[in-house]
Amino acid sequence: MVRIFILLCAMVLSSHAADAYESNCIKCHALLPYSLRDIFMRYLAAYGGENNVKVGLDHYFKYPAKDISVMPIAFLNHYGIDHHSKIKEDELKKAIDIYWKKHKVIGRLK
Amino acid sequence: MQVSKNKATNSLLASEKKSLFRFLTLYVLMMMSIIVLISLFYYQNQEKMMFLSKRDMLSDYAYEQIKKLKVLHNTFPAQNTYPRDPRFKSAIYDLEYVKIFSLLESDDIDFNTDMYITYDNKIHFVKTLFEYYLGAKYLFLEIPDDGEWRKEAWENIFIFGGLAIVFFTIVGFYIANLFLNPMRSSLLLLDRFIKDTTHELNTPLSTILANIEMIDKSSIGEDNKKKINRINIAAKTVSQLYQDLTYLTLEHDMHKNDENVETKALIENRVEYFDILAKTKDITFVLDLKKSYIHINRHKWTRVIDNLLSNAIKYNNRKGIIHITLRQNMLTIGDTGIGIEMAKIPFVFDRYIRFNQSEGGFGIGLSIIKKIIEEYNMKIEIKSKPNEGTVVIIKW
Repeated sequence: MVRIFILLCAMVLSSHAADAYESNCIKCHALLPYSLRDIFMRYLAAYGGENNVKVGLDHYFKYPAKDISVMPIAFLNHYGIDHHSKIKEDELKKAIDIYWKKHKVIGRLK
Repeated sequence: MQVSKNKATNSLLASEKKSLFRFLTLYVLMMMSIIVLISLFYYQNQEKMMFLSKRDMLSDYAYEQIKKLKVLHNTFPAQNTYPRDPRFKSAIYDLEYVKIFSLLESDDIDFNTDMYITYDNKIHFVKTLFEYYLGAKYLFLEIPDDGEWRKEAWENIFIFGGLAIVFFTIVGFYIANLFLNPMRSSLLLLDRFIKDTTHELNTPLSTILANIEMIDKSSIGEDNKKKINRINIAAKTVSQLYQDLTYLTLEHDMHKNDENVETKALIENRVEYFDILAKTKDITFVLDLKKSYIHINRHKWTRVIDNLLSNAIKYNNRKGIIHITLRQNMLTIGDTGIGIEMAKIPFVFDRYIRFNQSEGGFGIGLSIIKKIIEEYNMKIEIKSKPNEGTVVIIKW
């Protein structure tokens, strides 16, 4: 019984987080010419390791600015920069974690 | 002064050996340290030279590999096959030192140096990426180390190191000899002097002793008898010294003339001979003798016993006791005298070593004993405590 409860909780939490990623990230980025994977690879090339990438993403969401963006100048000039994120702290963290897991390179090369 | 080398002083004294040993140990240690240090520098230099010879090639490989990583970065995940190259193995690590992908055979990874040899003999070249393609900051390239440079380096170290050791050892012996020459010259001079003077002692000494024996003691007064007695003691002391010096300079080179010597009778005879000396200090002999035979040159055995008795009298206290115990294969002579300090015992056999200057002599008695003991493969042991006495044990 306890196991089923924990499983359900985990499913609810994960679906909630996935919702946060999909509703807050995919929804907006679907309209842009750069896919979320492209942006991830740019973050990866700029920041390197997992923690660094996550910190970089987190910081950008909180303090978006042209000079710290990993996107090309032409892209920024055309589309501008995003507004300050209104996502809650823990929700943002979970969304970033999902983003990392979805696109990470480690364990996917052969 | 030019001094010819006497066969008797050919062998080094224990103290001389000790000085030589100490000097050579220090010298060899210093020399070895310097050689090891130079070898280490040479080895490291050879390793650097090897790295230098391979660095350009590996840099080119790294440049090519980075280009392939860039392509993969841009096509990932549609293309996810890590680029391979038959000329080398490679691996990529992110800036948090997490492995992204590796084809390396060695797991000896070092992020702190740009080129190194692993414990399993692979050369690792580390290239830092400025743009982290696939998240990689560190690109490791691995090629096998054929070990030729190492083999050559070790060969040179052994050959030149060995030659240096031989050279410096010869120089060391030369320097040590220079240091020891003054001491050796003094000993040779003393030997030469003794040898020359002993020749002149024999006739007068024999005459004195023979005439004392011939004197009819019943026909002389008590006062004169005492004087004759004193002359007898003095003559016997000189005779003992003469015998030692003659042995040192001449007789020990003579051919062996070994026989079965009955030691009990010999000791009794020598105790009687030394009795007159012992009485001057009121020393008592306590004998516990059992019949014992030893195959030895009688004269040499007499020198051993005489010197032991002479020392036991010389270094005994007034009214002291000399215990003499004789068993089948063992002779023990113990006194109740001044004794010797533990630290000085190893040096008592050195010639001209005298720890007590209050008594006469040249300090050659125990040196003679040691020579004879060693010649006949016997064993000598000295047990002594200051102010309690000394016991000398000879086993054969």
